[in-house]
Amino acid sequence: MSAVQQTKRRKKRNWAPYWLILPSLIYLALFFAWPMVRGLALAVWNDEALLSLREEASQESDVSGTLPQGTTVNVLDRQGNFIAADELDTGNILTEVWFQVQGTDPDGQTVTGWVSESRIRVREETEEGIPTGGTVRTKLGAGADPLTSIYAEENDNSEIVGKLEARSAVTIEDVIVLEVWYLINGSAADEEIVEGWARSRYVQVFEDENTGRIDRGDTGKLTTEYLQKMVNDRFFMPALGTTLLLMVIIIPIQFTLAIIMALVIQANLKWSGLFLYVFAIPLAASDLAVGIVWFSIFTTNGYLNTILQGLGIVDAPVTFLSVETRYWILIAITLAEVWRATSIVMVIVVSGLQAISTEILEAAELFGAGLWQRLRYVILPLLRPSLQVALILRTILALQVFAVVVALSGGDVVTVLANETYRQYYDFRNLNVAASYAGFILIISMVSALFYLRAIRTQEEARA
Amino acid sequence: MSAMGESNHTTIQASEEVRAIHRQMLRRQRINRGFAYLVAFLIVLWILIPIWFISSMALTTQENVRAYPKGVLPFIEFSFDTMQFFLSSEGIVPGIINSITVAVIALVLSTLIAAPSGYAISRYLFRGRDTYRLAILMVRAFPIVVLAIPLVVVFINFKIFDSVLSLALMHTALTLPTTILIIGSVFASIPYELEEAAMVFGCTPLQAFRRVVFPLVLPGIAAAAIFTFVMSWNEVFAASVLTIQNRTLPAQVFNTLSQSSQAYQFAGAFFMLIPSMVFIFFIRRYLFNMWGQITK
Repeated sequence: MSAVQQTKRRKKRNWAPYWLILPSLIYLALFFAWPMVRGLALAVWNDEALLSLREEASQESDVSGTLPQGTTVNVLDRQGNFIAADELDTGNILTEVWFQVQGTDPDGQTVTGWVSESRIRVREETEEGIPTGGTVRTKLGAGADPLTSIYAEENDNSEIVGKLEARSAVTIEDVIVLEVWYLINGSAADEEIVEGWARSRYVQVFEDENTGRIDRGDTGKLTTEYLQKMVNDRFFMPALGTTLLLMVIIIPIQFTLAIIMALVIQANLKWSGLFLYVFAIPLAASDLAVGIVWFSIFTTNGYLNTILQGLGIVDAPVTFLSVETRYWILIAITLAEVWRATSIVMVIVVSGLQAISTEILEAAELFGAGLWQRLRYVILPLLRPSLQVALILRTILALQVFAVVVALSGGDVVTVLANETYRQYYDFRNLNVAASYAGFILIISMVSALFYLRAIRTQEEARA
Repeated sequence: MSAMGESNHTTIQASEEVRAIHRQMLRRQRINRGFAYLVAFLIVLWILIPIWFISSMALTTQENVRAYPKGVLPFIEFSFDTMQFFLSSEGIVPGIINSITVAVIALVLSTLIAAPSGYAISRYLFRGRDTYRLAILMVRAFPIVVLAIPLVVVFINFKIFDSVLSLALMHTALTLPTTILIIGSVFASIPYELEEAAMVFGCTPLQAFRRVVFPLVLPGIAAAAIFTFVMSWNEVFAASVLTIQNRTLPAQVFNTLSQSSQAYQFAGAFFMLIPSMVFIFFIRRYLFNMWGQITK
């Protein structure tokens, strides 16, 4: 009995943590994992790549073949087709309106049937703007049939039920909005010609009305198109170069400074609490704000020029942040990033230092090891795990520098990968290429993280 | 006798040598300490001078902002003119309201979801605990850039694009891992024995948690919440990508950066820095809690 109770209790105890972490798992799956997968798919998946052509002008009819996006096609015929009301605001849709009319033909017979809106001049409307009556328009052009055909169904391929004279009065009994379908043919690079019907939303017809191109498709396909677009973008190489350059310059400076700061904090100075507070201020500083702060220093009428001129080093204010002086922009970005992001490394290093027992450090000091020797042979080796974490974190964050760069360079003269992602999305409205950039940043982040883990492990193995 | 005298002599000599070494070490230590103070002082200057500069620009008249050479407080006129100009610019007050709304929603959601998880990882040894912690860390390290673009698509599909709520949901996803780890370390610092003792004295587990553990962890959870608030308040990239009409303060400043005057920019930067300076003061004790966790 008690054994059963115990297993029961143990089982209960085992399930509790899973219930407790469940909300966070659900949340992260919903707002992290799923969007991530969907978003990265954008970089390699074109969901408008292929257009299926139908044998007849209907979505239910069989597919006669597919043509890729961008193919030039011949337009052979057009026809209006029923469209659901909620599809009416679809982009690039071409509609035509047909009226069901009743009128009297030249022979005096009553004709009821469908006619395109373009053939009727509306004369009477209800208060809501629904047409109720009108007259048949005069046909223009020589040799045209002076009579207007009335069709049995709401498209001009159907049977003609009668003809009406120009200017004869009709009553409008029904109005229907139709989407235009085109009968098109064309061929994808060297393949056989495909012919079929397609909806107007997918086809852009040129002015001559006989040719057109496939604007977008309805079926997705894997593509490297966006990745190519990204790589061929003229800002790609500069952005990648600058991002890597900044990483290579900033990270060593940051780590040196962070270790110095951490040693100062650990030295048990009198106001060490105050020092810690001041050192930690940049930790929570907004990167945009920090960019602007350093802009106030480096701008032409800024503090750096004030100081330099005050000391008599320069005679007139120097323009630091301009196209001709790109290296100054890089220096300003470096200083701003070192100012902003060293604190976080410091905090990680201090946590690491606190874990090192003071006996070891005291022993090293007692045996006469100088500061440099202690650092080289005792502190740094023991700090390795902390430094590894800090290095991974900093590298990943360095790949995301964004607001600082924009604040200091305007985002044009010096650009970084994150800025290009933003521009592709925001300025060029190119979600897919932006997703490619995002994926690219992700891949570099992951590769560098793996590289650090690997490098440090092999070092340890070599030692063992 | 003589031998003894000799040995006595050597001891005296040795102790003198030892004293000399001691003196030398003391001197070296004093020099080292002096050096440490010097370095500390220099770093403090390095951090405070830019803040001093931007405060001088934000808390003076607009003529002083445009002036060259630039002055610093208290040698230039103190005035709220620049701040007033910034705060009365278009989109700033709504931006501040949006920023606070987003940050508060993110803070509440993130704390509510993270607290049980933090409790679970600090109190239970369960299968998959390490995997879970690793996954959380990976989410923490994921680039914001990578997450923002995909979320645009999702939010457009859900028709909550360009709303304060969508941004708050995104910021929650962003801050959740950090919050879980901080809260986990805060719970870990409260001995389980306290809870047990409370139960021995007749509390139910829930009561033990509410009466004993909860008051003890409250400051730590508040620190985590403040950190979430600051992270959300600072975040620019996702805010600019996910909102158009309902911009938060950083997004608003960022998007008008190229067309705005220096007075506006400097006052904006100063205003955005204030929370970080104030909040870090309150949570400085917990900083190592937050990051110590990760290295373990």
